[in-house]
Amino acid sequence: MSLEWMLAVAILLPLIAGILVYLIRHYQTRGLIVIVTAVVLIVNSIYFLRWGPDTFTPGSPMWGTIITILDYAMLLFYIYVGLSLKNWLVLLFALTQVIPLAWWEFGAGASTALEKISPAFVIDQLSIVMVMVISIIGSLICVYAIRYMYDHEEHKKLEKSRQPRFFFWLVMFLGAMNGLVLADNLMWLYFFWEVTTLCCFQLIAHDLTKEAINNGARALWMNSIGGTAMVAAMMYLYFTNGNSVDYLTLSNIIEAGRNGSLGATLMLPVALMCFTGMIKAAQMPFQNWLLGAMVAPTPVSALLHSSTMVKAGVYLVIRLAPAFDPVLGVMVAICGAFTFFAASVLAISQTTGKRVLAYSTIANLGLIVACAGINTELSISAAILLIIFHAISKGLLFLCAGTIEHQIWSREIEDMEGLAEKAPLTTFITITGMLSMFLPPFGMLLGKWMALEAVYVVPLAAILFVLASAATMVFWAKWLGRLLQVTPRLGRKIESLSLSYTVPLWSLFAGIFAFGIGVAPLYDKFVRAAVGNVVTVQHAFAEGWNILIPGAATTLSAEKGIEMLGSYPVWPLFIVFAVAIVLPLLLVSLKPQELRPVYLCGEQAGDVDTDEWYGAADQKTKLELGGYYFKGAASEEALNTWVYLIAIALFVIMFGIVVGVSL
Amino acid sequence: MNPVWIVIIAIVVAPFIGGLLAGIDRKVTARLQGRYGPPLLQPFYDFFKLLGKSKIATSRTQYVWIISYLVFMVTCLVFLVLQLDLLLLVFLLGFAGVSFALAGFSTKSPYSHFGANRELLQILSYEPILLLAALGVYAQVGSFNISEIFKQQTPLLTSLWPIFIALLVVLTIKMRKSPFDIATSHHGHQELVKGIMTEISGPYYALVTLTEWYELVLVLGIISLFWANPLWVGILIAFAAFILELFVDNINARMTGGWMVRFCWAIAIVFCVLNILYLYFINMKGVL
Repeated sequence: MSLEWMLAVAILLPLIAGILVYLIRHYQTRGLIVIVTAVVLIVNSIYFLRWGPDTFTPGSPMWGTIITILDYAMLLFYIYVGLSLKNWLVLLFALTQVIPLAWWEFGAGASTALEKISPAFVIDQLSIVMVMVISIIGSLICVYAIRYMYDHEEHKKLEKSRQPRFFFWLVMFLGAMNGLVLADNLMWLYFFWEVTTLCCFQLIAHDLTKEAINNGARALWMNSIGGTAMVAAMMYLYFTNGNSVDYLTLSNIIEAGRNGSLGATLMLPVALMCFTGMIKAAQMPFQNWLLGAMVAPTPVSALLHSSTMVKAGVYLVIRLAPAFDPVLGVMVAICGAFTFFAASVLAISQTTGKRVLAYSTIANLGLIVACAGINTELSISAAILLIIFHAISKGLLFLCAGTIEHQIWSREIEDMEGLAEKAPLTTFITITGMLSMFLPPFGMLLGKWMALEAVYVVPLAAILFVLASAATMVFWAKWLGRLLQVTPRLGRKIESLSLSYTVPLWSLFAGIFAFGIGVAPLYDKFVRAAVGNVVTVQHAFAEGWNILIPGAATTLSAEKGIEMLGSYPVWPLFIVFAVAIVLPLLLVSLKPQELRPVYLCGEQAGDVDTDEWYGAADQKTKLELGGYYFKGAASEEALNTWVYLIAIALFVIMFGIVVGVSL
Repeated sequence: MNPVWIVIIAIVVAPFIGGLLAGIDRKVTARLQGRYGPPLLQPFYDFFKLLGKSKIATSRTQYVWIISYLVFMVTCLVFLVLQLDLLLLVFLLGFAGVSFALAGFSTKSPYSHFGANRELLQILSYEPILLLAALGVYAQVGSFNISEIFKQQTPLLTSLWPIFIALLVVLTIKMRKSPFDIATSHHGHQELVKGIMTEISGPYYALVTLTEWYELVLVLGIISLFWANPLWVGILIAFAAFILELFVDNINARMTGGWMVRFCWAIAIVFCVLNILYLYFINMKGVL
């Protein structure tokens, strides 16, 4: 297959499939189209892996014109949205994009040059990693959505199905993301960036409730700030380099950053684009759009949080890391670390399952952004591993949240009490997913461990990392505790789920283990080259099946002449996991006669099969326990003022330094 | 020596040391309270008696988390004796603590939940200190591997004494001693309604006791790293810290969970942070 076709499949096939599902309003056919698209995308991403690094610019100039037209169409649509919703922020940030862009292209006469920037696409290992994450995990989520949306509309008793529209945006999202991570031409990158913003808005607002529309509009205007910053960065690069489009490709910016040919003038545009990425990655103080996004049907959340949208943000930050000035890098690291810390603490007080997941995503994105800011071989390795593992684990957890929601019709953690009894299969997968977020043998913890070993160069970030890690454990453990709490009634039935649910769930479940155990070969064969696209690769971190970090990986240990910085025995830890949790589950089982009721000071009313107790006047009362949410200390009301103040202050300091240096 | 033998010896010997220390604990505490106290080997008698009791539980999954608590704690000890990564050890120790809390959560008992929630407060208090300690060790040694600590000529205590003091707080929390014995008791100092232990009995209780012995040895082992060359000084320091805890336990009243978190975050963590920042600037000077 030629590269041209591979790109067409990755970017245009989802669009065509989207149009097909929009036109053919039939449940089974829609399912078939989505499944076929999913399979083709997955196969295509493997072709990309085998193809390797390359560049591509379409021969026909028509594509540049089409993209320009669509750019304006989208921006005009944003203006329309702003006017019709009377949301002045949406309107304002649409205008701040469209006016400068139009002036630049037509007023300053840049339009013909802008349409001829090449290369349009650069395929390197980092974008291949991203394409695989998007195509594989994104596709699985789309497959999950087939049945989910059917159940969703059954439950809401909609008269006219809105699924065709939903799948149009959902499937197209994958194409836009593929385009985004492959694009090198900044104008094209900007276009795909806007398409993801548009898809995101449409999907969040899908249910058309007041809340959904408001939250969709919030996602739209916040990401439009990012779009504005990107337009500003592009114009700055154009005008400071003598009205030339030479530096309007990512590869040239990075090249200039590496050899310092642009000097201090590069700093502002890089900082602006980094800012764009951080908004999309929901870094504080812009976390609210992602928190609001949970009103959407759960597959949307799964897609936004795991393989698309927010990953575009961290992708851009990592991509630009070679062009970071050291001071900018430190500021990015501190901003990211602060988000990691604040989001982890705020997650403790959340009572809604999806909101905990959202805060956890924000926290992990903060960690990834911080790693990009630290910008060493070790930290970039951690960042890319975290992107992969976070996509798998968080994708799984959101799909679990959706499955739970469709069994108990609630998102509240308190309603999930004793889920282990009502839906043992879903609970089992959910618990594994949660453990994979913070338990030692799994990939997420490996990434966090690597990040912590690399973070000492920015001690403030290191301290925030540590505090955040402790908070992370607490909020997962609290939620796990609610799922586990049961009264052992005798006999329970394993629930049956549609294949559309179970196939994605089990695939991601298998992915957690396969990639978790195989992390060292995965790193060596797959991730290391991607790290090499960002920083110079000098060291081998993988040895056999284990991760060993040599002393030369950090400056401090290199100076002290240390041989080994740290070691992570992967498979021995999986054996520990098996002995600690899997084997006891398989081998030990309690006989019914070994079960006893809990201690209630002698007031329990009955045996094991009841959870009632005798209240006043021997009235039977149901025993109810609640979770503990640290409402006083960790709630949003108590902390948000401070969080916003500090986060905004950090960005102000960052841009203050950048502007100071570049002037 | 062959690492396999080191691991086997550590796994076998640690509970004996832990049990003996528990015996000393009970004896000293009794004397401090003007009682005669049980024989030194009483913890072992209790342990074997518990093992012989019939298996009884209030939940079908609780035992999984109890076994996980034990296995992860033993793994931590193995990491220590094989001189592996200290940071990873701390993460494993953190998960061992989470396992125990999950054991508490997996039964529908109010007392057990009390204990589990308080256990989480403890994790929130001590986990950052331990992680910062690992970071401090890195700042001084330049590596996270424990084996590198043993190659150091100057003991860590000389440059990391603020972190050492913070670790003593962790020791108090881990030993569940006053003023931080929040998770262990509900009705005063009695054994029947004892946090998570309320719903744990017989052999499972024995497993938890065993794990606590491992935990004690582990934390004392980490403390002894602060004087790793020669190690016997470190062991003496750890033993002295242990005896100190017994006195601290008996002259303090139990404080609330919120107070514990505030104390750890406002004082102990600040000690660690200042220590690390100081070392960072010392290291920077070396670079410049």
